[in-house]
Amino acid sequence: MAESTFRARVCFQKSGPLRHLSHLETVHACGRAARRARLPYAVTKGFSPHMRIAFGPALPVGTAGRGEYYDLWLRSYIPASDVLASLRSATPANLAPVNVVYVGERSASLTAALTIARYEVVVEGGEALAESLAGSLAAIVAEGVFAVEHKGKQKVFELASTLPKEPEVSSVEGVTVVRLTTRMGERGSLRPETLVTTALAREKLEGRIASVTRTELLVEEEDSWRSPM
Amino acid sequence: MTDLWKRIEPLLDGVERPARYVDHEWGASIRRDAAYRVALVYPDLYEIGMANQAIQILYGRLLTLPDVAAERVFLPWKDMSDALRGAVVPLFTLETCTPVAECDLVGITLPYELTYTNILETLDLAGIPLRSSARSEKDALVIGGGPCAFNPEPMAPFFDAILIGDGEEAVLDIVAVHRAAKERGASREEVLAALAAIPGVYVPSLYAPEGARLRAIAPAPAQVRKRILGDLGTYEAPTCPVVPFMDVVHDRVAIEVLRGCARGCRFCQAGMVYRPVRERTPDAIVRDASAALTCTGYEEVSLTSLSTADHSCLEEVLRRLTRRLEGTGVGVSLPSLRVDAFSVGIARLLGGGKKTGLTFAPEAGTQRLRDVINKNVTEDDLIGTVTKAFDAGWRRVKLYFMIGLPTETGEDIRGIGELVSRVWAAAREATPPAERGGLKVAVSVSTFVPKAHTPFQWEAQIALEEVRRRQSVLRDAMPRKGVDLSYHDPEVSFLEGVLARGGREVADVIEAAWRGGARFDAWTEEFDPRKWREAFAITGIDGTTIANRERELDETLPWAHISAGVTTAYLRIERDRARANTPTPDCTFDGCTGCGVCGASGVANVLAGVRNG
Repeated sequence: MAESTFRARVCFQKSGPLRHLSHLETVHACGRAARRARLPYAVTKGFSPHMRIAFGPALPVGTAGRGEYYDLWLRSYIPASDVLASLRSATPANLAPVNVVYVGERSASLTAALTIARYEVVVEGGEALAESLAGSLAAIVAEGVFAVEHKGKQKVFELASTLPKEPEVSSVEGVTVVRLTTRMGERGSLRPETLVTTALAREKLEGRIASVTRTELLVEEEDSWRSPM
Repeated sequence: MTDLWKRIEPLLDGVERPARYVDHEWGASIRRDAAYRVALVYPDLYEIGMANQAIQILYGRLLTLPDVAAERVFLPWKDMSDALRGAVVPLFTLETCTPVAECDLVGITLPYELTYTNILETLDLAGIPLRSSARSEKDALVIGGGPCAFNPEPMAPFFDAILIGDGEEAVLDIVAVHRAAKERGASREEVLAALAAIPGVYVPSLYAPEGARLRAIAPAPAQVRKRILGDLGTYEAPTCPVVPFMDVVHDRVAIEVLRGCARGCRFCQAGMVYRPVRERTPDAIVRDASAALTCTGYEEVSLTSLSTADHSCLEEVLRRLTRRLEGTGVGVSLPSLRVDAFSVGIARLLGGGKKTGLTFAPEAGTQRLRDVINKNVTEDDLIGTVTKAFDAGWRRVKLYFMIGLPTETGEDIRGIGELVSRVWAAAREATPPAERGGLKVAVSVSTFVPKAHTPFQWEAQIALEEVRRRQSVLRDAMPRKGVDLSYHDPEVSFLEGVLARGGREVADVIEAAWRGGARFDAWTEEFDPRKWREAFAITGIDGTTIANRERELDETLPWAHISAGVTTAYLRIERDRARANTPTPDCTFDGCTGCGVCGASGVANVLAGVRNG
């Protein structure tokens, strides 16, 4: 008989020095935090029983995240606010959960549901750079396709699908901020720094990427995007 | 205190596995305003050093002092070292990114001979003068300790002091003496003299070479006796160790269940230098294991020691622990097992679904040679154990052997092949025909390296050409089918031999090798014997006279001024018994064998129950 479980969805951030963790390291750290939180987590059946926990799309090493997700299955119902409090007290501050809700047992997995990602890329360099960079990015978008070399293989992104919104470039206190919205497909996701680096290089612009942050992950529905919470 | 983080972080985008350098792990303690700062250095990568129990123990001990900061330091990988040098950023502590050179005390573990060049690399990256004699009043105090401290001489010139033996109490004494000396404005020389008065502390600069002997200069004692923690129950073992983010070796929480081993294998340095045997009680083990799992969130707890299956109450501990952990997905593991039926029973108790592989160390291929080395295991034991294990569902077994043991003949080497054949046959017999495809016997063969403070400390290590010849004899004698045979690199064993039994003169070779680019020598793909050959040539030291020469019994050995508690008379008796193929029993099962540790040091074996072996 299958035991009944409760599927808690945890929204967490990955910030500061811990943006340098890999996806696997983040997965381990969150699993260990859930154990330390002494939550009644469910355990898989089978040869090698382990905690039932499932993560959203991986965040690359070095990229920070303001709204990342994992689902944690519990054997008994605990109010979401208590789950949040327990997890927060057992997680390093830079990986701290910020919200917990319960979702339906049959709802789609995070990796399947989350297809829209928003990023903020901060580039060192002020107003003049912002203007040229905006122009360079617009030119790339106008080309319609963007080819990336990765580990000796070429990947081609159709930008009409990959970039559902035009990149926004602004200049704030001496730095340039590029806001990108990408759609993640089955054949991979476009790394925002790759697009920005290419845009810089094409126009021979001086500018070092200071940080990359994934600000939001969203679920795409017919004609709108919504939070997975 | 300088915080280097702002200069370190920009370097992280260009290096492999930046998680090695970011700190902020669960359990890490940050004390920015501490009055006294200790850097605890493990001279290898983060993922190796974080598995070291001594670092976690000392970290916990130091943090019991309210105004002391304990901070971890690991040697960065080459990419990060290059980046640090390129950006002129010195080596830093993880917790507060303080330059290592700004710490009051730099404690460095000596875990294995092949990390010696890493220690020089660490000091250099930190900007601390390599040799104690070159350090000034403003430099940090550099103190060593750990397994290789028992022959400290090859590394002695690089340390201000070296602790011999257990550190739980000694580390607090060292900090107290150093702080008091600093407060009264003592000179470096006065600090060293004060340290020499602490039991177990060896101050190399207070021992002057006089022929082959090192003569103590007052107030240093003529012989430094190792420090012993009489009872492991008297200190609080760490139950909230730092939990790494990245995958580290032995990625689980470790609970030490006993220290020391009295089986008396004559080649084994750990068995001689960590005496007496001190078991922890089942209550303490279960309590600490539960507390550690709760505090760390680890998915596995390992019950560690030199020989965990020897613990008199192991079955009780395992029953209590597995009952507590049922349904949590958390497992218990043991690091290594003895070759006997009891061990298979134990492994079964842990079993669960996982039957990944069992590891046994018969060490030698014939009963005669096993008697010489006092490895009290018979062929029947081994075959019986393997049969039981494969009956119970295991399909892989790994066997450890050594070649080059004293008195070894061709028959002994061929005996390894014959023994492996019989193990294979027994395993096959115990495996249902349909499952015989996945059956595997892995055989790992290392070259015997004689170590200080053992009955074989006077023996010659076999020369390189001879190692290669014996390896080929073994290859011919080894069955091909289902056997994976692997060897240790003989050049590595040779170097290990030189560093294990060399004197103070070997320090020049180590420094020359490091200057020639040697580091990470323990990493197979990094070890470059040419760099060491050049270092021997530059310094004019012939390593073969250290590794491959038999010593006279009355020769003054480089570690004569260091006592591990076991008397030289006992080691000689054991050597004679080895030559007469006579085994010596284990004093935790039978009577005292007179090794000398207990009487002279005022300690005794501490057993939690009656041993049944």
